[in-house]
Amino acid sequence: MGNIMSTSFAPECTELKHKYDSCFNSWYSEKFLKGKGLHNECEDFWQDYKKCIEVHMKKQGIEHLLDDARKEAPFENGGTPKGKPTQLSAKDSKAR
Amino acid sequence: MKFFKSEQTFDYPWEQVSAANWQKYPNKISTHVKSVDVLRREFDPVRQTLTSERLIGCAQNIPRWLSFLTGGINKSYVREVSVVDLKNRKLTMKSCNLTWGSVLKVWETVTYSPDPKNPLCSTKFEQDAEIQASLHCQIGDKIEQWSVDRFGQNAKGKVGFDSVLEKLDPVWNEKFNDLSGKTSKLFDQMNSRTTSVLKELNDRADSVIKELNDRKECALQDVNGRGQSAVSQLRDSILHKN
Repeated sequence: MGNIMSTSFAPECTELKHKYDSCFNSWYSEKFLKGKGLHNECEDFWQDYKKCIEVHMKKQGIEHLLDDARKEAPFENGGTPKGKPTQLSAKDSKAR
Repeated sequence: MKFFKSEQTFDYPWEQVSAANWQKYPNKISTHVKSVDVLRREFDPVRQTLTSERLIGCAQNIPRWLSFLTGGINKSYVREVSVVDLKNRKLTMKSCNLTWGSVLKVWETVTYSPDPKNPLCSTKFEQDAEIQASLHCQIGDKIEQWSVDRFGQNAKGKVGFDSVLEKLDPVWNEKFNDLSGKTSKLFDQMNSRTTSVLKELNDRADSVIKELNDRKECALQDVNGRGQSAVSQLRDSILHKN
């Protein structure tokens, strides 16, 4: 892709991450941005990569930090913290 | 609590910036970012949105006065949730630090949207941060201020992202130019066509005006000639009558 790719926090997963990233970057530009995306096509690469990082997140103790953060600012809310609107979302709701 | 706000403009279309955003790191300026991982990603084909959760690993230089709180560890993690809304051409990223959460919380919101002044060619970046230290004393203030200053320094991040955009630009134009490349080519074509049409119109108008002028001249001469003969005829008839 003409650019160096970022590494994984767990060096053991970097190779799997690069495979997933190249698939994703192509899908994003060629399908998603053109409104032609029907489903995420990189599922196979994703599963391998995900398995790898989950193991290392446990080992490095990142998981419990993530659990708290996910409760505080759920993925389903687009990462907006519960009951504590950030400045931008406060501005947005005013504009609405 | 302290706030930080900044705004920037990138001279690339929103689509291109949003694609390069996934490849923003590593870059030569933001060397504190050591790793980027995708933890969860969901695509909604109906709403045309893509939500991603990422884990960003950083290594910042922690000042000595702060290291007693962080245990001398300079490695930290940030969790980011981003939403790409294709229909509204907006990318929103919300992030918060996972490490040192008991000392300091930094909530950051970044948005990328088409620049209203030039929506097809440039993208507006807006950054908002809310910084809160848990210690309500002098050291808390000092930590918050240090964090605000870090944001100011990280504003150099634009230079870093620009270098990535520049590097990826040929790839984008070659492979994915359906969106932006074709549009600009179309504009170029339209411009050159408009120019040639205008030139032709000008040329035609010139010759029409010239012809009109010529005809007017002839007509005037004719009118003059006829007028003169009419006058002389009238004069003759009057003279004759008398």
